[in-house]
Amino acid sequence: MSSYQGVALVSPISFGYQKQSPRSAAFFIGSVLRELITTSAIDKAEIDGLAVSSFSLGVDSSIALVEHFGLEVRWLEQINVGGVSGLLALRRAARAIEAGDAGIIACIGGDTAHHRGFEATAANFSSFSIDGAFPYGAGGPNAAFSLITANYMKRYGATREDFARICLDQRYNANHYPMALLGHKPLTLDAYLGARPIAGPVHLFDCVMPCAGGEGFLVMSTERARALQLPYAELRVADELHNAHRKDPVQDRSGWTTYIDDLYQQSGFGPEDMQFLQTYDDYPMISMMQMEDLGFCRKGEGPAFVQRTDMRFDGSGSAPGKLPHNTSGGQLSCGQAGSAAGYLGLTESIRQLTDRAGSNQILNVHRGLVSGYGMVNYDRGLCSAAAILSRGQS
Amino acid sequence: MTIAEKMRQRLRLNRPSLRARARPPKQRTPLGQNFSAANLPVALSMPVCDTCGHVQYPPTELCGECLADTLVFRETDTQGTLLAKTELHHSVWEFFKRRMSKAPWPMGSVKLDAGPVVLAHLADNTLAPGQSVQVFSHTDASRSSVLIACDVSQPVGRREVRRALTEATGLTQIAVREKGI
Repeated sequence: MSSYQGVALVSPISFGYQKQSPRSAAFFIGSVLRELITTSAIDKAEIDGLAVSSFSLGVDSSIALVEHFGLEVRWLEQINVGGVSGLLALRRAARAIEAGDAGIIACIGGDTAHHRGFEATAANFSSFSIDGAFPYGAGGPNAAFSLITANYMKRYGATREDFARICLDQRYNANHYPMALLGHKPLTLDAYLGARPIAGPVHLFDCVMPCAGGEGFLVMSTERARALQLPYAELRVADELHNAHRKDPVQDRSGWTTYIDDLYQQSGFGPEDMQFLQTYDDYPMISMMQMEDLGFCRKGEGPAFVQRTDMRFDGSGSAPGKLPHNTSGGQLSCGQAGSAAGYLGLTESIRQLTDRAGSNQILNVHRGLVSGYGMVNYDRGLCSAAAILSRGQS
Repeated sequence: MTIAEKMRQRLRLNRPSLRARARPPKQRTPLGQNFSAANLPVALSMPVCDTCGHVQYPPTELCGECLADTLVFRETDTQGTLLAKTELHHSVWEFFKRRMSKAPWPMGSVKLDAGPVVLAHLADNTLAPGQSVQVFSHTDASRSSVLIACDVSQPVGRREVRRALTEATGLTQIAVREKGI
């Protein structure tokens, strides 16, 4: 069963986005925790569960952070799977809340970005990448994703103009979201197409920018959220599958294909009922793959789908179809704050569903889909997860 | 020194201001070092499971299919099919940065007839996806074995052919800083 009952997501926090920082990951995670406590006006002692995700904690682990932050928890998770960290933390926390193992769980992703720190992350990412990928030129995920993107373009006829649809609409959304690191800059089609080449079809504006920052939210029962008079979003259904389709020679789909029909069936909604979609957008082709695998269009129809779909949060674009997508600008425009990037779509969704988004608020929004993808251990992203959230009762 | 510490040290040495002579990445796991050693005498050697016959790449300690502790390096068929190729214009590694400042660096993924998908440097930038290729190994300027894909017509069974193809890629030469910092 992938459905959930009475699980509330509360107090979405995005904190401290910056290109580089001399601070530690604990600073960003702890600052998110502080903001969670302040905005929800609860006592720190009421938080009895903690899930953290970070690539840059160094020698520390989740339990060290519990001591740093003076917490006392009966439920503790450390989930380091990059782009699906937020959804995995949410699924585990939700079951713990349902079972009564904990009362209020803080789910936080945060990472710092030291000078030249990305090189260290890339060089140490996994044993497969140390032996099988890092020596082959790029020293980061660009090579793997340019192979995946080139293969997709050849097989399904996608063009750079198709990927531009995703990047340009996301930048428009970021222009209305103050935290986005690139939100102050508009992006035009000419600038997108004329950008510096990075790896094959992948050019500068197709790549996320590693940065520092933190994201987080609280998970509790809907009764508790109502008692505390906190606006909340509700988790309806969620699932995950990792290392799916592992015999595919080049990745052009991931685990969503195996469970998305089930998610729609159990939630009673279809893709046409989703009022927003937050995908994991480390590269625009990966967002296109999620649109296909999540049932918004069939495999290979992603290019046509983005051409006929306006993905701006306010529907101000010219395309006839409307699907607000990555309404805060996604990682492509906000920056990729390590594991926090796996929480970005979730926190943005909770903001939207509790009318806290501010200048990028979608009007009359009741439900939406969040998906996660990640962990290029060798030549493809291994993880997939998706969740449908809805507006909580007021 | 742990692997992570070794890598941090190498990353420090990778700083362009400190490094007149840049080499390809040397760091490997112990299994990657075994791979380098096993590939010295032959065109291509891969860990093969004695229990189920699975060809494992990148190298692991246990077979990725049957989990048996029976992987041994065996000479492997070099034939394969190029799945996808790309030209890299950007790298975090100084050696490749210097190479890419002259020309984009071609690499690709190959499905070996023996089973695994490997990432490889391309000896020939005209290779196209879907084409039959051969994959051989050669030591680079850091004395590690790397995989190189070339046209299917090349007689890669001969050591001098492999050497000539590798030298043409620039992998066997150190990238020397030209002037100043």
